Amino acid sequence: MTSMHRREFIRQAGLSAAVLPFIVGLPSLALAAPARPRQRLIVIFSPNGTIPPAFWPDEVGRDFALKPILTPLASFKDRLLLLQGVSNKVRGDGDGHMRGMSCLLTGIELLPGNIQGGGKSIPAGWASGISIDQEIKNFFQRSETTRTRFGSLEFGVGVQDRADPWTRMSYAGSGQPVAPISDPYQMHEKIYGQMKDRESLRSVLDPLKAELARVRQMISAEDRRVLEEHEVLVRQLEREIADHASQTLREGPPVIERGVADQNDNVPRLSRMQIDLLVNSFVNDMARVATLQYTKSVGGARMNWLDITDGHHGLSHEPDTDLVAQAKLIKINTWFAGEVRYLADKLAATPEPGGDGSMLDHTLIVWTNELGKGNTHTLDNLPFLLLGGGFGFAMGRALKFEKIPHNRLHLALAHAVGHRLTTFGKAELCSGGPLALS
Amino acid sequence: MSLTNHQRLVLALGLIALGFVVACSGPAARGPVAGKKIFSQQCADCHGDHGQGVEGKYKDALYGDWALPQLTRYIAKNMPDDHPASLSATEAGTVATYVYEAFYSRAAQVRNHPARVELAHLTNRQYAVTVADLLRQFAEPDAPAPTSQGLNATYYSTAVRGRFDATKITHTGIDAELNFTFTAGSEARRRAGGTADFSVQWRGAITADETGDYEFVVRTPNSVRAWINSEPVEPVLDINVSTPENPDHRVTLRLLGGRSYPIGIDYWALPEKAGSPVTPALALRWKPPRGSERPIPARNLLPATPKPTFVVTTRFPADDSSQGYERSISVSKAWDEATTNAAFEVANHVVKKIDRFAGTRPADAARAQKIEAFAAKFVAAAFRRPLAADETQRIVTDLLRAAPEEAAGLRRVVLLALKSPQFLYVGLPAANSEDMRTAARLSFALWDSAPDRELAQAAAAGRLRTRAEIAAQASRLLADPRAPAKLREFFFHWLQLRFVDDLRKDATLYPDFTPELVDDLRTSLGLFVDGVVWSEASDFRELLRADYLVANERLAKFYGLPPPPPGEFARVATPAGQRAGVLTHPYLLAALSYKTSSSPIHRGVFLTRSIVGRALKPPPMAQVFDEASFEPGMTMREKVVRLTRSENCQGCHAVINPLGFSLEWYDATGRFRTEENGRPIDAASDYVVDENEKMRFGSARDVAEFAIASEHANHAFIEQLFHHLVKQPLMAYGPDTIVDLRNSFIASGYNLKKLMADIATLSALPGARPALSAVTPPHSP
Repeated sequence: MTSMHRREFIRQAGLSAAVLPFIVGLPSLALAAPARPRQRLIVIFSPNGTIPPAFWPDEVGRDFALKPILTPLASFKDRLLLLQGVSNKVRGDGDGHMRGMSCLLTGIELLPGNIQGGGKSIPAGWASGISIDQEIKNFFQRSETTRTRFGSLEFGVGVQDRADPWTRMSYAGSGQPVAPISDPYQMHEKIYGQMKDRESLRSVLDPLKAELARVRQMISAEDRRVLEEHEVLVRQLEREIADHASQTLREGPPVIERGVADQNDNVPRLSRMQIDLLVNSFVNDMARVATLQYTKSVGGARMNWLDITDGHHGLSHEPDTDLVAQAKLIKINTWFAGEVRYLADKLAATPEPGGDGSMLDHTLIVWTNELGKGNTHTLDNLPFLLLGGGFGFAMGRALKFEKIPHNRLHLALAHAVGHRLTTFGKAELCSGGPLALS
Repeated sequence: MSLTNHQRLVLALGLIALGFVVACSGPAARGPVAGKKIFSQQCADCHGDHGQGVEGKYKDALYGDWALPQLTRYIAKNMPDDHPASLSATEAGTVATYVYEAFYSRAAQVRNHPARVELAHLTNRQYAVTVADLLRQFAEPDAPAPTSQGLNATYYSTAVRGRFDATKITHTGIDAELNFTFTAGSEARRRAGGTADFSVQWRGAITADETGDYEFVVRTPNSVRAWINSEPVEPVLDINVSTPENPDHRVTLRLLGGRSYPIGIDYWALPEKAGSPVTPALALRWKPPRGSERPIPARNLLPATPKPTFVVTTRFPADDSSQGYERSISVSKAWDEATTNAAFEVANHVVKKIDRFAGTRPADAARAQKIEAFAAKFVAAAFRRPLAADETQRIVTDLLRAAPEEAAGLRRVVLLALKSPQFLYVGLPAANSEDMRTAARLSFALWDSAPDRELAQAAAAGRLRTRAEIAAQASRLLADPRAPAKLREFFFHWLQLRFVDDLRKDATLYPDFTPELVDDLRTSLGLFVDGVVWSEASDFRELLRADYLVANERLAKFYGLPPPPPGEFARVATPAGQRAGVLTHPYLLAALSYKTSSSPIHRGVFLTRSIVGRALKPPPMAQVFDEASFEPGMTMREKVVRLTRSENCQGCHAVINPLGFSLEWYDATGRFRTEENGRPIDAASDYVVDENEKMRFGSARDVAEFAIASEHANHAFIEQLFHHLVKQPLMAYGPDTIVDLRNSFIASGYNLKKLMADIATLSALPGARPALSAVTPPHSP
């Protein structure tokens, strides 16, 4: 099926099938300084709500102190934008976790469906609209100057092989969830498989030419014409591969650890492998949009590496008075913040290809969650943390809003890349327009 | 080919007459020097020194099948173009004889362009089938297919997604068609135990009639997992979330016709909560190539468990069909790229299942050796012969050793094997493999695939050298399902029905002529042809004479025939004299019609070319068939007569029209009729056989009897079949071959299987090709 996908991509990208598959695959590597500075978006998801007192600063404005969960991000404090008071106000079928997850980036109701959530909720299906990451990806892909090979890449860490509204936040359209790839080897193959193909093909060309020459000797002069033409084609292929070899990636594929199974206890290693791949794909301009999804809504990862043996979701249901559970949850969320920091560090340490500053200056990270708080299942005060640059937002601030719909944040993201939508998701939730963040 | 779409009709006019066939009885040569002189003085300016044509003057080459007297008369009357009739009778005769013998006649054409067996690479069909069989041979063979229909079903009174509880089985049995709505209290729900939640497993096989892309649709508002031509762990649909508004889950798979593929469906229905819009239901549907979407009929479902078949999805550029059959005697950039992409598809598949193919596992100490052994076997199978020791070294060992790890090495071996000429070209010579070449010629002729193990073993043992040995293997190969799969394409090709895309008719006139009915017609024709060809008698004459239709209830109702058993296609008798086999099959008749009326010209051209075997050159001019230009109330026959009455038209239409008119008994949908617009059908006319003979044709049956008896028509059919099977020009096998084949065919009682076996045997024979009758004594009819 790989080849089908490949063809599908080519078709979508509007390229001729004649250049399949060895010609495509590498971005335009000249990477001359673009007319408009490059903009990239990364959405990171971690599940089951945050611990508000350990997350939200007490102060508003530029002068604020980081709470425990965000301490790993201290060095990026002046590049952070904390948005308290942003709510997922989408209602309708499905339970809180389902809507929390599948309406998080779509801002629109779930379709009727067969998935029964918790409590007395009405069963529901997929989200009924596109998600903001895919909307922006499509916007980028429509223009010659911002188009990339993939447009977007969806990374997962420990998501598990299950498809339901609790496990999907990206949607290509109504009822069309985009599955994150949790297996870094699969992602590696997706991004760099064609290079491997080219290498395999190159390695058989000499023996192939020898076979053709050998066979040519055995057949009649009349039939030889066909084989001679065939040999010309093989030499042509060889030249094409050689031409390609001269085009090198800006940065080669990352060397990733072998044999790391997609299992709970490997989540820390898988996380770093995925982040390495993500940054590498951006360096090589394979995509300008990415999502990085840690487990799923109701995710029950057991973070043994933090000496926490309870499942994450179970812990998140414990009352505020359970201080042991609170401490564990803070530890868990702090660990997620540390992964965000690893990503930010990598981006900050990488010069923007052909441009000014670092890649972080041109990349906005949005870290969020499907719930405001685990034990109440509230969809208010979703922990929205923005980090980085390039979107024209005034960073280094903690802002506080009064339960404004998160659709307005999505509008702000779209406007920041020049995509001037009037509404996104459920139109009624867009009044007031994009959040003013600059 | 969908003629019904065309509002314009191309008519053969004018000079086409030169290209028209009649008979070949050449008179003795006289005065070649004088004839050549006249030709170069009077004709060569326009026709070229050798009658090859001159661009800007008369560009077509001069050849055709008129007899010499007719050619002489034509030249005497019409040539040279600027001074017609200026030649004396003697001069006309002399130059006509020269033209006839130098390049015009078939004998001259054969002499000037001797046919030979050319180096050919795999056709697209051969590539797909060969690759499928190549990989298939490394799996266990399937058990023989059962004759029953439907899928095995197991119902459970509980639903836990991803699981089935063997203690909760409420029903097991066979479901013929999967099209259920599990409303509370229904029979289907009762089978599931009547509980609030329930689940069902269906297991079995699906058979594809034709090669192409099949869009499968699982329609359910519940959860479902389905695998089709894959392992259960590789579902093609894994649907947890459904929505009642859009319950169709689709996947498109490419399948090869005439084969069975595993299918499995796991289905879970959770209890409907108050307020839930979900009513449990499940339907398994498909949209076959060139068909409409519909429930998968029971006759395509089997309670069997075949292994998956690898079907390559790379699209190759179309094969060369310029000679009337698909063959591959040239290479192109697009083709070379397709072979690369396809080789990667295969290599990736093999590498993904490397341990299974090599019969090993990651921890196996002997894994590298086993992979090397498998790689060598793979290459030998791809090359269709044993490898020499130095080849094994070059193609297998060296590549594996040079690679960083086994998987990468195996990928390279597969790539090289499938890019190699030994795989891509059919019948290359190689040292010590003459017997294997014979085997390959035979299996490609009958299967479009490489020899199977038994055939390869016979070749290796030197038991594939005499005609009798080869003929015995040919008979065995014909009994394998791969033979009917190949031959079905031939018969649709012969009837020019392989690519029918749009058979819609005027909805006011024919409201019941629905897409479903069109699908049924195609099925009906396929079943009819298969039924005749693969019966004991395998009688070609039955194809043209049969007075029954294979029909289901919908077809029987539409065509006014007695109903067959419910839900089945069966033979249904037609009123005496109304039908004559394929010639009157409504699928063919509807394809050779307009949206509102029959088209005697399309039908006539088809009968001329495919059934009576006369050649027509493409018409040099087109004429619009403009319905508005005729007075109301005219019959179609009257319109055609008027349109083609000029002398120029009559050169061809004297032949086309009588054949086409014989089918005027059938309307645009192929329904039998006795009148048109209130006027009785007139189907009778005189058909010009040759200079001396006319025949009265009044019905399809008259045409059928003529085609059965006519040597020329027989030859045309045999030649088409030969080309389809062998993909080389029949003439390359000697001028008498066609005569021998026909004699054997007639002596066997027009036995098609015998004819196929004869053709395959003859094409497979190494070296000289003695007369066929020498070793295959004719059967008495």
